[in-house]
Amino acid sequence: MSVWNYVVTAHKPTNVTHSCVGNFTSPQELNLIIAKCTRIEIHLLSPQGLQPMLDVPIYGRIATLELFRPHGETQDLLFIATERYKFCVLQWDAETGEVITRAMGDVSDRIGRPTDNGQIGIVDPDCRLIGLHLYDGLFKVIPFDNKGQLKEAFNIRLEELQVLDIKFLYGCPKPTIVVLYQDNKDARHMKTYEVNLKDKDFVEGPWSQNNLDNGADLLIPVPPPLCGVLIIGEETIVYSSASSFKAIPIRPSITRAYGRVDADGSRYLLGDHNGLLHLLVITHEKEKVSGLKIELLGETSIASSISYLDNAVVFVGSSYGDSQLIKLNLQPDAKGSYVEVLERYVNLGPIVDFCVVDLERQGQGLVVTCSGAYKDGSLRIVRNGIGINEQASVELQGIKGMWSLRSATDDPYDTFLVVSFINETRILAMNIEDELEETEIEGFCSNVQTLFCHDAAYDQLVQVTSSTVRLVSATSRELRNEWFAPEGYSINVATANVTQVLLATGGGHLIYLEIGDGVLREVKHTQLEYDISCLDINPIGDNKNCSQLAAVGMWTDISVRIFSLPDLNLITKEHLGGEIIPRSVLLCSFEGISYLLCALGDGHLLNFVLTTSNGALSDRKKVSLGTQPITLRTFSSKNATHVFAASDRPTVIYSSNKKLLYSNVNLKEVSYMCPFNTAAFPDSLAIAKEGELTIGTIDDIQKLHIRSIPLGEHARRICHQEQTRTFAICSLKYNLSAADDSEMHFVRLLDDQTFDFISTYPLDQFECGCSVLSCSFSDDNNVYYCVGTAYVMPEENEPTKGRVLIFIVEDGKLQLIAEKETKGAVYSLNAFNGKLLAAINQKIQLYKWMPRDDGSHELQSECGHHGHILALYVQTRGDFVVVGDLMKSISLLIYKHEEGAIEERARDYNANWMSAVEILDDDIYLGAENNFNLFTVRKNSEGATDEERGRLEVVGEYHLGEFVNRFRHGSLVMRLPDSDVGQIPTVIFGTVNGVIGVIASLPHEQYVFLEKLQMNMRKVIKGVGGLSHEQWRSFYNEKKTVEAKSFLDGDLIESFLDLNRNRMEEISKAMNVAVDELMKRVEELTRLH
Amino acid sequence: MLGSWPSLDPHNFSQFKPNDPSNPSKMTPVTYNPTHDRTLSPPDQVIVPEAKNILLRHFYQQAEEKMSAKRAFSDNPMPERASKLPRASASDNV
Repeated sequence: MSVWNYVVTAHKPTNVTHSCVGNFTSPQELNLIIAKCTRIEIHLLSPQGLQPMLDVPIYGRIATLELFRPHGETQDLLFIATERYKFCVLQWDAETGEVITRAMGDVSDRIGRPTDNGQIGIVDPDCRLIGLHLYDGLFKVIPFDNKGQLKEAFNIRLEELQVLDIKFLYGCPKPTIVVLYQDNKDARHMKTYEVNLKDKDFVEGPWSQNNLDNGADLLIPVPPPLCGVLIIGEETIVYSSASSFKAIPIRPSITRAYGRVDADGSRYLLGDHNGLLHLLVITHEKEKVSGLKIELLGETSIASSISYLDNAVVFVGSSYGDSQLIKLNLQPDAKGSYVEVLERYVNLGPIVDFCVVDLERQGQGLVVTCSGAYKDGSLRIVRNGIGINEQASVELQGIKGMWSLRSATDDPYDTFLVVSFINETRILAMNIEDELEETEIEGFCSNVQTLFCHDAAYDQLVQVTSSTVRLVSATSRELRNEWFAPEGYSINVATANVTQVLLATGGGHLIYLEIGDGVLREVKHTQLEYDISCLDINPIGDNKNCSQLAAVGMWTDISVRIFSLPDLNLITKEHLGGEIIPRSVLLCSFEGISYLLCALGDGHLLNFVLTTSNGALSDRKKVSLGTQPITLRTFSSKNATHVFAASDRPTVIYSSNKKLLYSNVNLKEVSYMCPFNTAAFPDSLAIAKEGELTIGTIDDIQKLHIRSIPLGEHARRICHQEQTRTFAICSLKYNLSAADDSEMHFVRLLDDQTFDFISTYPLDQFECGCSVLSCSFSDDNNVYYCVGTAYVMPEENEPTKGRVLIFIVEDGKLQLIAEKETKGAVYSLNAFNGKLLAAINQKIQLYKWMPRDDGSHELQSECGHHGHILALYVQTRGDFVVVGDLMKSISLLIYKHEEGAIEERARDYNANWMSAVEILDDDIYLGAENNFNLFTVRKNSEGATDEERGRLEVVGEYHLGEFVNRFRHGSLVMRLPDSDVGQIPTVIFGTVNGVIGVIASLPHEQYVFLEKLQMNMRKVIKGVGGLSHEQWRSFYNEKKTVEAKSFLDGDLIESFLDLNRNRMEEISKAMNVAVDELMKRVEELTRLH
Repeated sequence: MLGSWPSLDPHNFSQFKPNDPSNPSKMTPVTYNPTHDRTLSPPDQVIVPEAKNILLRHFYQQAEEKMSAKRAFSDNPMPERASKLPRASASDNV
């Protein structure tokens, strides 16, 4: 790999951090707005459910999100503040369908200690000011004037230093905040302040409440007419106002999220740390609070946000599991739950660990993640591309074409599968036993190659061979009519639909026939100047049986032409350029847009938007699918039309949000495909590949496929063992029933096909698994699972004891065969020169695998290296060891065989708190740290002095905005050695927000090109809310902010493909590169993930 | 306490067909890439960090108050009376 890196998202963040409901897109429309850390999703509530409207990338990590409505406005505005102290007020412009910025700015202070408990951003219910608590001891105010315009911001000193929550109170003549805080004796209190905007100061508020629940953590302001505030603790819930105080005890729980149900604030949904959903009710008489009641409704994912939508439907946003849409029922179900889950939204976060495996052994990487937390823990199997689930297959060599036919025009299913070879045609059909067997259609000519077949009207079938067109009865299977090619000419290519046949013979003759009841009528004949290479008359107009247009691909002048039918008038001619002839053309329609697809002999595909009324072609786009000729066919799956492009890199072309998308099919090479929908194999495809005919169903058409394996416990480490076809995981299970919330840790063995637990090794009390590795040792052919553990004692700051456990898998069971006690937590294990390298607290320790007299083995320590705070992440390459330290960035160690010693070679002297490291190549190491940055360092072997050689030089810096937990070498896509992107090495990363990303090392030339493109893209695609892309990607921590270097933002670069033609041309001009070329180069990059 | 769940528009979710919960939702919204110029707010709505630190602001404010107090002193030749007046009024409140 190299220092020039390209970072791109393969799977966007799915961790829901905030949500709110309001009239954002129109005064009449109700919207759910969801924040997923760096993105906002706008949904519309409709009779059909939640309709997604827009996914808005934000150049910042969203710290607070609120909808509010200034005086005189008819719809809500959205207030967003980011963790890097930027804020914006967004408004929906319904006329243009754009998000516009009403106000924006910087709310940072030069001096100030960032709050420990997260940032708070709140809007006064009467819209007099926005309040922000970003630094200890300061409350920032951005006042509104009476026209809803923001005025100059100022700080007010806040005496309380350990603030837990701040909210605005309702119904106060002056803007009033309520502050929940902890004093220096760890007692928790609540007090109120009025904000005096004129004097820029606080005035003591109307009331306060001392000595609250020790776990009080959340304030809920109650709207009029009741007003006041609810204080949610771990054991009590209190209602407090100037005149009233009510409290109820609750079952001990930590409330993570709340959602107000009624506008008058009498009912609230509370979600706790175990995913239990409660309803809190304020009972009241004559606008006086008389008491509180709480009722358990049921279980959901562990909620991070709760938004009541409408008509008893609630959105539950989750950081630890899948988010959900739930319905609150009036009657409990059999299990006593009032909660019914209506819909589930995948969330991979937090990805704590993952591994890349090739389970099908076909060169396609699968990512298996440890996702979720607590009871919502799961494994997720993430795969790129579309799978074919094989139902049946037969060996058949030399297939030259395939078509499916029905036995009657109105039959819902196909009966026959016509398979053509170089000098014969065979007919297959399903027999009564649902087996595919050879049959005959008497009227067909079977001793020659078939060029085309189709169902025809009036229960007929049509077959085109090189000399004739035969019309056959589908019921009697007898020939009804035959059309002969003109003497001396043979038919080269042909196509047909239910009522029309179009064919071409040598000499550029184009002949159009129409199909009647037992009649084939030659309607039109024309001669073109060159030979014809491909044709299509797929009906895409209103008439499903008959096409008004014909697409024709030409030899010699390399053009594609559109003719009108039935008169065969040329209406459009488009030169394709280059020297590669078109091999397959297809007229098709996706989401109401008509396209002409044209596949070339070298694996490229051109697509045009086709105006059906006049045959005009526009918006030409070119992509590279493979390297061999492509054959295009349409097929349907789940009531949508897609196109299958058969080639050395089979691809499905589909449309989403009116944009054409290309998804890899996970097969190596497909020569022909045709849909084959039979009663036994509904919705199936017949696929010809590598001497084999396969019938199979196709996955849902989408780019990434995610399968979920719920564990009910929290998996933290995962490792695959090829030889035993198993996974080992370290996991922990929380015991909810026990009074003292105990937890149990396990090493579990899973089958890599079924993902069932097949064996479990329980760890000791207080012992937890920290690392797992599959490896073998010198002079021992067995493969082992090695597990590193730590005894986490409540009274210790750092573990002082741990173990290395060596397991072998025998008869599907984990057998412990050796163990070694350590003096700390075994944070990392690596196979190293046939030995085992462990990171134990501040030390790197090497163990050898020594035989004992009885034939068994034991771990014996060989050497070690001290000098870290905590050596958390270790990667090795040859004799080199790269260590990611808790707070001392990256260091490079070397193992010296002769001396049997590990020594430090170089280190990065920055104080980065690491979260993951990986070795990109011999000299370049990649790190991720806890301020959401990525960086690369380089070994400086050529340094003049020891000092220079001992320093790892920082060569790349980038703000990812995501907390990376793991890097792994590998790829999500099948790598073809002869494709351009096949040469680009990649590293995959997984993050807390559920992002799966790819870092690709580019050749320098390509990097420079894309850097220029990125610079131009920044000018065209603007940051929502006025946030700057350049600032967002700058490396940022407490000490420094520096411009990003040696990393490119692939997400921005790839959004080039979403731009309209004018914008593309704008960039093309600035870059001095043709639009086609730019598109092709960017499209290639999208194939990296 | 359950029931009579609020309804803003009775049509919402009325035709909703729940998915099989084992099959997660596949609806993906369009990604928004704004190319218009209104991503920047009007210039008077750009909030910048406070120039004066809160402590300095406090000092200036105090200095200002002192100055105005002095000014009040020079304007009003009966300072003692003035300082006594509020006390009298305060006692009225008791």
